[in-house]
Amino acid sequence: MQWLDALVQGVLLGGMYAQYALGMALMFGVMRIVNIAHGDLMILLALTGISLATAFSLGTMSLIAVLVPLAALLGWTLQRGILNKAVGEDPLPSLIATFGLSIAVQNLMLQIWSADTRSLRGGGLESASIDVGGVYVGVLPVIVLVTAIALTAGLDFIVRATRFGRGLRAAAADTEAAAVTGVDPKSIYAVSTAIAVAILGIAAVFQSLRATVSPADGPAQLIYAFEAVIIGGMGSLWGAFVGSMVLGVAQAIGFRIDPGWGILFGHLVFLAALAIRPEGVMKRG
Amino acid sequence: MKAEPVLSTHALSAGYGDFQALFGVDFEVYAGEVVALIGANGAGKSTLLRSILGLLPVLPEMVRFRGKPVGGSKPHTMVRNGIGMVPEGRRLFAGMSVEDNLRVAVDYGRKPERDDDAGSIWTIARIYALFPILGERRDQLVHNLSGGQQQMVAIGRALLTQPRVLLCDEISLGLAPKVVHEIYDALPLIRQAGTALVLVEQDVSLAKRASERLYCMLEGRITLTGASDSIGRDTIAEAYFGAIHAMA
Amino acid sequence: MSLSVIVLTALVAMPWWADSGWIRWAVELSCYIAIAQMWNLLAGYAGLVSVGQQAFIGAAGYALFILCQKFGVNPFLAVPLALIVPALLSVPTYLLLYRLDGPYFAIGTWVVAEAVRLLTTNLDYVNAGAGLTLRVMAQYRLHEREIAMTMLSGILLLVTVGGSYWLLRSRHGLALTAMRDNPVSAGSQGVNVSRLRFFVFVAAAVGTGFAGAIYYMAQLRITPASGYDPKWASISIFIVMIGGIGSIEGAIIGGLIYFFPDRFFSQYGASYMVVLGCLTLFMAIYARGGIWGLVASRFDAPWFPVGRRLALPAAGERKPS
Repeated sequence: MQWLDALVQGVLLGGMYAQYALGMALMFGVMRIVNIAHGDLMILLALTGISLATAFSLGTMSLIAVLVPLAALLGWTLQRGILNKAVGEDPLPSLIATFGLSIAVQNLMLQIWSADTRSLRGGGLESASIDVGGVYVGVLPVIVLVTAIALTAGLDFIVRATRFGRGLRAAAADTEAAAVTGVDPKSIYAVSTAIAVAILGIAAVFQSLRATVSPADGPAQLIYAFEAVIIGGMGSLWGAFVGSMVLGVAQAIGFRIDPGWGILFGHLVFLAALAIRPEGVMKRG
Repeated sequence: MKAEPVLSTHALSAGYGDFQALFGVDFEVYAGEVVALIGANGAGKSTLLRSILGLLPVLPEMVRFRGKPVGGSKPHTMVRNGIGMVPEGRRLFAGMSVEDNLRVAVDYGRKPERDDDAGSIWTIARIYALFPILGERRDQLVHNLSGGQQQMVAIGRALLTQPRVLLCDEISLGLAPKVVHEIYDALPLIRQAGTALVLVEQDVSLAKRASERLYCMLEGRITLTGASDSIGRDTIAEAYFGAIHAMA
Repeated sequence: MSLSVIVLTALVAMPWWADSGWIRWAVELSCYIAIAQMWNLLAGYAGLVSVGQQAFIGAAGYALFILCQKFGVNPFLAVPLALIVPALLSVPTYLLLYRLDGPYFAIGTWVVAEAVRLLTTNLDYVNAGAGLTLRVMAQYRLHEREIAMTMLSGILLLVTVGGSYWLLRSRHGLALTAMRDNPVSAGSQGVNVSRLRFFVFVAAAVGTGFAGAIYYMAQLRITPASGYDPKWASISIFIVMIGGIGSIEGAIIGGLIYFFPDRFFSQYGASYMVVLGCLTLFMAIYARGGIWGLVASRFDAPWFPVGRRLALPAAGERKPS
């Protein structure tokens, strides 16, 4: 029963990670870049959300309604202003640029919000749970998981079946050929990053409901998203979702063995995945 | 009557970094004509096409399209203005079906204007009529197609951007002679729709037969130009191999 | 060259002419330069961008402390012995991560560093999260310690900076430069890219570990949070990107530029880091060659003539000629 409980909690935790990982998988799939500030942007949105909710006494739904467009705008600006200049064959510029951004954002947040931990109140939602045959399942984590599934399915549909999705796949497959077919890769990139950061806006609200956030939390979230994407096989949206589940379960089981080992166990599963099934993590070819 | 060329270059110079590949190239295409561009490997033919399309940096006055200086614009802007390109090596979108490859062009290419006559507008159905095999294999992923079929997708994709001028880079390269004929047989149909064609070719006799005028390039310069049927083989050989540099 | 000899001699002679504060600074600066130089070798030449070099810093530091405190090894003898640990750690790390594409490789190294940090935090043998103190150093007088530290720093610079210089001047240097400029064509021209990368990764781990061992020997104390601090990755990236990637001079200039303002401005903490972060971002996009790149494009007088042109044209500089 204890292990079943760990499994359930792990899957639910994976729902949170899937929300971080989705945007990263999208951006890597299209541009072959990893935004090192990914986690920091999520924390930035979370802290902004908490401040907004406090200042205007917004409920959860209205906060999401405000924060998501704001996040999309942030992502679009980030891509137009910075990342479009760093995208290219050489991975170094985008990596270093987003690394610098990550340091800048982290310390900016430290100045604005100080190092305190904060969280969002969800009117009892955060503590509600139901008893399913002896396993207590939190209502909020279930909402997070369902949202993650909906986001993954929605994004997958957009990529497979819309005009934008075709442009995106074309630019991802061959940027130059896409350009000579009329696609503006830079504008595809800007919309992709806007979507990726918009999803982080949703994740930010859930993260600040289910736990506390503080300015230094970003890198850990980046690493979880990254591990999920790699475990699931690079760049695939459902792969990232499955990877998130694996990571969540690994951490939950590790935590049951010894509370100090939870996150370490996640890292070890990631390294084991690299060692035993490299076909899931081969370079593009 | 001397009409304005639809597309022209003026003293176009371009290169990659420190390496200059083109030296003052003057090149023109008139509406509805077929122009061949021949030359040995490395003569600068592909570089010229790439410069026209904005894939290499050039000054605005170096490329004129429908009377306006457009040099150095972004490739997608060029395409939406009406310059299409079949890139060398086909460059299809891997992992996408035949139909999705074509739909990208419909989605993002030039939108037909009111003055375009209905018969000249390319649709996916017309591409399937031009190359029936593509209609049969529309749901297959492009990497499962033969080389010739892939070339047909590349041409179809370029046509669906509704080009006024279509630049074809080495469309016969690496294909069996039978397939080359099949593709070249389709060219007159494309021309009927009013699209001007620029054919970059290494096969000189094929280029001569298919075109009205031809340009020959050598070491980044135009070394010969004239009506395709009036130029003799020897003249072409000189311009092609540079036996007599005085030609330049 | 002669400049380097003067600097090294002055460094080693410091205990006889400088006060303790300055010596402390000199030792730390040497460590920074060495770590940055190793990162430069990885990212600037081998195309291996790592944000997890702190794994080797902490591992070597811990190895040193364990050898001294648990096995009673003489601390100065323990420094070279401690370097076996980062070397051993770097081999499986590389074998696990080398398949990953550029940016994924980078974060992969970070995961390894985090895993090693968490592992250390959970080991009671090394006093878990509380860390270790190097008590054995108390048996030496301050002057003796200072002589030893400056000697070690001198050797560190000789090994890392001198070693990079030697490597780039050797027959591998041309291969490394070719690899920096274009790994694919370097591979097709007979450079064994993967073996060279592996070698550079292990060498950089040892060099970085050497600096880590000296740094924590000077600090007399190590904890998992400090030894495996991602701050080490930030420092290497700041130094190399601001100084100039892909050149030995860049890491030295960057080290000086980073170190001294850091002493004066670190009281402003967060705002100073915001500026550094933005500067790194700016350098990555607009001035790929860093400050040394800007200098070198005006004056052709390298301090370390590795015999190959250091040409890194920024993307925007390509004009039709």
